[in-house]
This record gives sequence, C-alpha cells and structure tokens, in this order.
Amino acid sequence: MLFSARFRQGMRAAGPILIAFVPSSIAWGIAAQARGLTLQESLLMSALVYSGPAQFAVLAPLAAGKSALQVLIAGFVMNLRFLPMSMTLAPFFRGVKRLPLALASHVVSASSFIVPYLQFEKERDSNATEVPTLDGNGNLAFFVGVGATSFLVWVIGTGIGYGVALGFPPGFEEALKFILPGYFAGLLVVEMRDRVVALVCLASLLAAVPGALMSPGWGWLITAVVVAILGWGLEARK
Amino acid sequence: MTRVEMILIMGLMAFAVRALPQLFFVGQTFPKTWDRLLRYLSYAFICSIVSITLFMTGVRFDAEAASYRGLALAITIAIARKTKSPVTGMIIGALLVLLASRLR
Repeated sequence: MLFSARFRQGMRAAGPILIAFVPSSIAWGIAAQARGLTLQESLLMSALVYSGPAQFAVLAPLAAGKSALQVLIAGFVMNLRFLPMSMTLAPFFRGVKRLPLALASHVVSASSFIVPYLQFEKERDSNATEVPTLDGNGNLAFFVGVGATSFLVWVIGTGIGYGVALGFPPGFEEALKFILPGYFAGLLVVEMRDRVVALVCLASLLAAVPGALMSPGWGWLITAVVVAILGWGLEARK
Repeated sequence: MTRVEMILIMGLMAFAVRALPQLFFVGQTFPKTWDRLLRYLSYAFICSIVSITLFMTGVRFDAEAASYRGLALAITIAIARKTKSPVTGMIIGALLVLLASRLR
C-alpha cells in the first residue's frame, strides 16, 4: 500500500482518540494559563514534551519556581513509560531509515502506541500463514498518521484552551475520562484470540492501580512487567 | 535556569526516551520466545494504561467513581466483543458513565 494511503488510514484510526484529545488539550491550556505560564511556554511544552501526564505533573513545580532538578526528574520519570512502548513498536519498522524514524518517534504517546500496535498485530496475525513480510515504511506511515494527527490536535487544543476559558457541564468530564480507556479496551477485546493474553490483560488491569498506589511513577510499569513474565511462564508450561 | 530552558531540556529528555529504543531495536527480529514475552508485555502495558487512566486521577485512586466506571468498562467490553465495534462499546460506556455521574 502507498505511503499516503497508509498515512490516511492512520489518520482515520486516530478519530476516536481525538474525541478525548480535544478536551484534554484544552484543559491543559486552561491549567497552564491559570498557573501563570505564558502562551509560548504552554505551546512549547505541548510541542516538545507532548505528554499530558508529564505536563500536568510538572506544571505546579514549574510555575512555583521549584528547583530545575525537581522539575526535570518529575518529567523524566513520567516519560519513562515511552521507553517500552517505543521498543515494542520498533520491530514493525524494519527497513525504515534512521532519520525519519527518529523524527517520527517524537509522536509516540500512549494512544499512538496502542492503536498502531493493535493494528500491526492484527495484520501480522492475518498474514501468519503467508510469508511474514513486515512493511516497515507502510507501518511507519500508519503510525505517523495516528501520531501526527493526535500531536497537532494536542498543540492546537493547548492554544485554544489558553485563550478560551471553557467550562464543561457537570458529569461531562466523567464521560470524557472514559472515552480513551473505553475505546482501548474495546479494541483489545475485538482483536483478542488467545486465552493467555486474556489472562495477562485481566491481571494487569487489576494489578495496575495497587501498583500505582504503592509507587506512583513506577508501580504500574513494574506490575505490568511481572504479569507479562507470569503469562510468559504460563505459556511455556502449556 | 529559566522556565523555557527547563521545557527545552524536558523536551530533549522525552525525545531521547522515545527515539533511542526505536533506533536501537528497529526491524530487529527477536527469537520466538522473546517475541512472545514482548507481546505479553505490550498487552500488559495497554491494560495497565486503561486501568490507570480510568481509575486514577494523578496519584489518587478515584474510589467513589470506581464502581460505576468499572461497570461501564465491563459493559463496553461486552458490547465491543458482541458487535465487533470498539467505537459502539466506547460510546455506550461513556453514556453510562455520564448517566451514573449525574445520578450520583
């Protein structure tokens, strides 16, 4: 498939993500303005850091003039979750040159990891009986289609939020909060075939919150790794 | 250090975390058993992200909302599975959450 066609496919796949990204980015813009960041600083942060949780986490210490080390460590710890996501996507980009790959990696986020990953897995499974060919450039086009669309919405939404004070009706935020996880969970179950994968999903769903409560930055990552290793061990015993 | 300088460094650090694994592992074929582990890790990360996004605000567990959000998630999963449409499941789940939060 042509690069542009795959890119458009990715853009379409980003649709449900945008429903959640629009209000979240606006909320970030409003919060940044309320804490006294300038428009340039808010936009710069959305464009360079491009990570809602990290941006919200460092907003208070950054605005309060806390030490640079404190702000940078908080941001770094929150962004460490991109490490395994990026690593997991990498095998799907076989044959892609390093420069476009490095540039594209900037739009790795939870959403632009989950949607392309599930799509690539689905395509890999459907080609399982054929000669396994991974179209790295096509996969990159799909990934950039999802990621760049979400990225643009995030940055533009920040600007809009900064300029316009929006108030959502009561309860509306609740529905917005549900949209992304609800969509991801739906995507997962539609594609899921394997019992061990289902067990891994259920166990990590249950373990993530206790893990995060024990250690806010690392807890859920550690529980996810433990659950995945247990699933792997279970499969090996079968 | 100014705020803009801090933002620039934060951006560079975020970029490094995103780009380095891609540059290092691009197109690598792992042995089959490692490939399976990586697959389980991905699914575990996705489900953990779902759980954290849904049930936590910052470092706080949303205990009051957890019951109806959990129920809405279960219904979303059932509908998505039945209809083979994640969007349908997500819309119905979001409406349920909206309704439950208004009734609360």
